[in-house]
Amino acid sequence: MANRTASRPANGQNKICQFKLVLLGESAVGKSSLVLRFVKGQFHEFQESTIGAAFLTQTVCLDDTTVKFEIWDTAGQERYHSLAPMYYRGAQAAIVVYDITNQDTFSRAKTWVKELQRQASPNIVIALAGNKCDLSNKRMVECEEAQAYAEENSLLFMETSAKTAMNVNDIFLAIAKKLPKNDGGSGGNGSSGVSLERTDPSSGGGCCK
Amino acid sequence: MKCPKLGKALLGAQTFCGINYSNDECGANGLPLTPTSIKILGRFKHQLLKLRHPNLCKYISLHRSKHERVVVVAEYYEKNLLEIINNQSEYFRDFELLSCLANEIVGSLVYLDKHDIVNRNLSPSVILFDENNRVKLFEYGLFYVTGWGQDVKFPIGQLKYMSPEVIAAGPKAKFGICNFSSKVDVWSVGLILLEAYIGTILWKELTTAKTIKKILSYLKFDGSAFDIIIKEDLNENQQKQIKLLPSEIYTLIRQCLLISAADRPKIQALYNFRLFKNFSKDVEKFDVRDDMFASTSRMKNFDFKCNAGNECMSDFLLEERTLDEIYYLWCIAGGDAINSFKKAFLVRPEPPVTTLPKFISLEGESAGQMRDKSNLYDGSVLILSQDQLRKRLSNLTEEDFFPLLNSELEKTGVSTNRSRNSNEFNQSESLPRIIREADVEYQFRRIILFDRLLLAYPSKQRDLQKEARIDIPPFLRAKIWSALLNVKGDIQGHFDSIDKETTIAIDRQIEVDIPRCHQYHELLSSPSGHQKLRRVLKAWVVNHPEYVYWQGLDSLAAPFVALNFDDEALAFCCLENFIPKYLHNFFLKDNSEVIQEYLAVFSHLISFHFPELSNHLNEIGFVPDLYAIPWFLTMFAHVLPLTSLWHIWDTLLLGNSSFPLCLGVAILEQLSPRLLQCEFNECILLFSDLPELDIERVVNNAIKIFRSTPKTATYRRHAHVKTDEKMKDTYYSEEYSLKKECLIANDPISLSELKREKLPRICSQDLLELLEFRKSSPSSSPTKVNGSDTSKPKMLIMDIRNPEE
Repeated sequence: MANRTASRPANGQNKICQFKLVLLGESAVGKSSLVLRFVKGQFHEFQESTIGAAFLTQTVCLDDTTVKFEIWDTAGQERYHSLAPMYYRGAQAAIVVYDITNQDTFSRAKTWVKELQRQASPNIVIALAGNKCDLSNKRMVECEEAQAYAEENSLLFMETSAKTAMNVNDIFLAIAKKLPKNDGGSGGNGSSGVSLERTDPSSGGGCCK
Repeated sequence: MKCPKLGKALLGAQTFCGINYSNDECGANGLPLTPTSIKILGRFKHQLLKLRHPNLCKYISLHRSKHERVVVVAEYYEKNLLEIINNQSEYFRDFELLSCLANEIVGSLVYLDKHDIVNRNLSPSVILFDENNRVKLFEYGLFYVTGWGQDVKFPIGQLKYMSPEVIAAGPKAKFGICNFSSKVDVWSVGLILLEAYIGTILWKELTTAKTIKKILSYLKFDGSAFDIIIKEDLNENQQKQIKLLPSEIYTLIRQCLLISAADRPKIQALYNFRLFKNFSKDVEKFDVRDDMFASTSRMKNFDFKCNAGNECMSDFLLEERTLDEIYYLWCIAGGDAINSFKKAFLVRPEPPVTTLPKFISLEGESAGQMRDKSNLYDGSVLILSQDQLRKRLSNLTEEDFFPLLNSELEKTGVSTNRSRNSNEFNQSESLPRIIREADVEYQFRRIILFDRLLLAYPSKQRDLQKEARIDIPPFLRAKIWSALLNVKGDIQGHFDSIDKETTIAIDRQIEVDIPRCHQYHELLSSPSGHQKLRRVLKAWVVNHPEYVYWQGLDSLAAPFVALNFDDEALAFCCLENFIPKYLHNFFLKDNSEVIQEYLAVFSHLISFHFPELSNHLNEIGFVPDLYAIPWFLTMFAHVLPLTSLWHIWDTLLLGNSSFPLCLGVAILEQLSPRLLQCEFNECILLFSDLPELDIERVVNNAIKIFRSTPKTATYRRHAHVKTDEKMKDTYYSEEYSLKKECLIANDPISLSELKREKLPRICSQDLLELLEFRKSSPSSSPTKVNGSDTSKPKMLIMDIRNPEE
């Protein structure tokens, strides 16, 4: 699709960074749809539910750096919550998604943010996405309210629509910009950028499901 | 439930169009509106298809075509009441015949009312008669199936037979007002009986406007329109006739035509009239199951007809087959109901250019376009010719219709004598599935055979399994699956006893999952389909407090719901039996151990059969945990479209609980040329949207893999150990689990150890079996062993013990 930002790393002079990014949020808020829009430029009205978790990758170019996202798209069902730490452990970025037409999903998003702040790596870049903003006539969560909350907690914030593609690439780009990209580690925490050791779920001390 | 027999019935088709929504209209949930034809199809299969009453023409099928057009196929007879009134005006002067007519019409309407269906479409032309002059109501349920008229642009019902309150409410009045109760049908019954008696169609010469005016004018009066009609519309002779009417018929008609809907009796109340005192009023009996899950004796109403000898034998035998079976065969014999309409010029699409408006104002108002006739209802019935089908089946003999089930002989090794055509028949068995499924004669024989095996279910269960290994005829798949899943007993009572309405905590989750589950499927995307899936899921969750709803259960239930769309109880019971067999404990609140073990065994199997692939996948870190959870948690229902899933499950249901692992390996094998070239990212992208697979190859390879896998290699501690005695020596098998038990007893390994190991452990018996020191048991693969490929694999055994040991 036209609005696809991805490109392959051109040649050696490009710096390549890999980041692990995780999507969290209540079920049916549009996590998989956001990823699908970002990675393949597609949108399915009846996107199937995610079982366990889905993994996808996409590369974006930022000035002289190529940022490669390894995206973990998690299942939204509350029951899968206990497995979430496995996915956000070691993640450098997270997008917490809620549905602007449903207040409950926003409260759920807040709990996710709290949990990430408490449990995830301290330098994690968190973005808050108010999805389905094409349905603004059914809006239940005010943009200002979410904006204020995001500022309070220093989160990136955008209202997105996987259906119309609005702000989808932008939110990933914004995250890419905010992520530290100097090789060899930054911010005191050794492993925040660069080559991602694939956290092998089977060795992750438990279950992947 | 069993469909009525063909008898002398014709197959009649009708067509109409639903409202066409524009593309960008969205419902309250932001999703596109469900197309009206899908809603209609859902209601049709949910309700109309299962109605069975001797005085109703059985509905058979509904097809969707372009532009929201649907084609309905139903039992049909050419003789109707209108014709009788016009041609034999004195026919119903016979009071016995008249009361019989009244009884049969009322009986069918009471039955419809019991299913909450207001007909609102009664007229002499839809009252048909079969060869025994029994009433067969046609075109009923149109009002129900169109969402009480909301999904179509045309008004439903014949104007003249509408009661005053229906006309007063206008053509688009919403359902729920009193005028839409069964009382509207009562009015029509009264008018029709009157017409039948006097042998004249009333108000023939009145225009539409005048008819409306006339019926509305009744609203000024109290009492019965009967009196007014006698005075205004009947001639002297007819008035005399009325005087001759016995009082019970007279009262009935008079009460039916009461102008005030409040005073008019409901259809149920008509049964209390004196006229009906000698007729049976038991409507419940028509809904009692008479199929393999009947709670009463199945043979109670068994009747065996003899050919009196004056008929063509194959025609006679064909008439003993059920309507839906004949229609199914008619379709694969090249019949196409939608096309037949086009050929008969009954559907004529207007050239688009002629539908343009002639004038459009700057404000966007348009004028001068032709009215789109396709939005109107054209009640004409197209009779689908059965000639082609009868010709294709004409060389069948009596023996073909009643094959002998000689399983005892087969067991003792005497060659089977399936029929005189058995050679030819066996040849077709080796053809590709897709060809077999389109072969009328082959399907006919398969259906006959399975039909008989199912009649004898459960006693013929083993023969049924054996036959199912060859293939499963799609027409009987629902029943055969339930037999393979060992569903038994009073399933309806079981399902009905579960509370599916009370709100439970998981409702929200189910609610958001259902509109995303297999929505490309026309039945599952209909509102009726959503409700069904919800009820089945809730029933399962409520009935299994030890388990919980995991996302994925919806995908798992969907195939059963789609397959048994007219039989929710069966869909539920199939799901209920499927889960313990293949997904034992997968739906525990904490299922990680079970799933981890399953996946570990899966990777062992990959390395056992395809070491090169396994090494590559391990090298790039592409572990089953990343892709195979949705495969196994839903037994591929989440990742494969239903059209592929049918055939996967046809075989899956014949195997034991480790067979799905083999299917998984077979899928990997098919994709392995690509996987071997791919790096991690490409692999994961490949699997995020499973590419088109050759399902027949997957299934055949899975069977090969299954047969060449030592049984203990797939041993799982969490597998369900069957204790059911009856299932002893099939491959859900006891021998199998016993062997496992001996293995654990000797050599238990923990989950972490299992995951660390790269290859499966097998027990000594299996080793011996591999070396063919012991003959392997013949019946343990899910298809017929063809005998040829028992070639011994080469084997290298390395002893890695220390010399001291």
